[in-house]
Amino acid sequence: MSEPLDPVGIVGDDAAWLDGNGVAGLLAEVFGVELSAVVRVCGTCGTAAPVGAHRAYLSAGIVLRCPHCADVAIRIARLPDRDIVYVGGSWSVELPRR
Amino acid sequence: MSALLAPHAVTWRVAMVAEVVQENPQAVTLVLDLPEWPGHVAGQHVDVRLTAPDGYQAQRSYSISSGPEEGRLALTVERIDDGEVSPYLAGVLEAGDELEFRGPIGGHFTWRVEDGGPLLLIGGGSGLAPLMSMLRHRRAHGSELDTRLLVSARTEADLLYRDELAEGPGLAIHRTLTRERPGGWAGYDRRVDRAMLEEVGPPPAERPHVFVCGPTGFVEAVADALVELGHDPGAIHAERFGPTG
Repeated sequence: MSEPLDPVGIVGDDAAWLDGNGVAGLLAEVFGVELSAVVRVCGTCGTAAPVGAHRAYLSAGIVLRCPHCADVAIRIARLPDRDIVYVGGSWSVELPRR
Repeated sequence: MSALLAPHAVTWRVAMVAEVVQENPQAVTLVLDLPEWPGHVAGQHVDVRLTAPDGYQAQRSYSISSGPEEGRLALTVERIDDGEVSPYLAGVLEAGDELEFRGPIGGHFTWRVEDGGPLLLIGGGSGLAPLMSMLRHRRAHGSELDTRLLVSARTEADLLYRDELAEGPGLAIHRTLTRERPGGWAGYDRRVDRAMLEEVGPPPAERPHVFVCGPTGFVEAVADALVELGHDPGAIHAERFGPTG
C-alpha cells in the first residue's frame, strides 16, 4: 500500500479500519453466530446499520464502531485465556430454534 | 431487515491446495480441495491462518472467488511484498501443501440470484475476487439480470480473470487502467470517479444492489461518489482490504 499509515489510527485514518464484515470470523468465534447481517440501532445517534457495515478497528482485539457517529458497538479484548466483551447500543436479533 | 442467524461453526480446518494458478505477476488463485465444504454464498470470505514453528500465528481474510455451484473453493490472493501472510500464500505455497482456514464467513457482503437486481459491481485490483464469485453464480443460473461490472487496475497485466470476463446477455463490463495503458486502449484511463459511475449506471432511481471491494482508499472514494450521485447508502455494500497483507 502506498498510502501513509497511522499505526494507532483511531480517528480519521481511512486505512486503519475495516468493515465489520471483515471481522465476522472473530465475531462468530466469540458469539457463536454469524453476526454481520444483524442490524444494530445505535444508542447514541439512532442509525440502523448491519454489523457488517460498522467500522472495525483492529489491535489486540477489535473495536466495532457505529459507521455514522463512531459510538462503540462492540469491544473485544483478547487475552491469552479469555475474551473480554463489551456490547453497546440497541440490537435486534433473530435466532433459529434448534 | 431481519436476519436469521444460523449457529455458525467457525472451527479451523485444514484444506489441501489442489492447484495454484498464477493470475498476474502479483496474484495467484489457490484452489482448495475440501471434501466437506458446507457451501458458500457469493461474496463470502474465509479466514486463513499461518502458524510458525515457534507457535506464532498470523491470520488474514480472503474473499472466495469461485462460484457456490463449482464444488471447489478458490481464493485469489494478491501479494503485498512487505506483508506477513500474502508473500507465503502467493509465492511459496504449492499444490499438495496444506492450509488452515475457517469459513465461509460473512452475511453482509453477499448476493444470491434471488436477491434480484439491477446489480452494480465495482472492484479495485484483487477486489474483483468476491465480485467474480457473484458473476460465476449469476452465470451458473443462466441469469440475464442487468449487471454492470466496473474494474479498476493499474495496468492491463494487473487485470484479473482476463480470459473469463466477457460481456453477455444483461452483463456490461467496463475497465479502467489507472497507471499504464496499451496502445488503442478503449476503456477508461483514470481512477473511478463520479462521472464514470454515472456513465456505467444503473442510475440510483433503479435502486441497484451495489457491491464495492478493493483497497480502503478506493472503496472510500467510490462509496462517497455513489452517495453523491444519489445512491442509497444502505444499498452500498463495501468490503475494504485494510493495510495488512
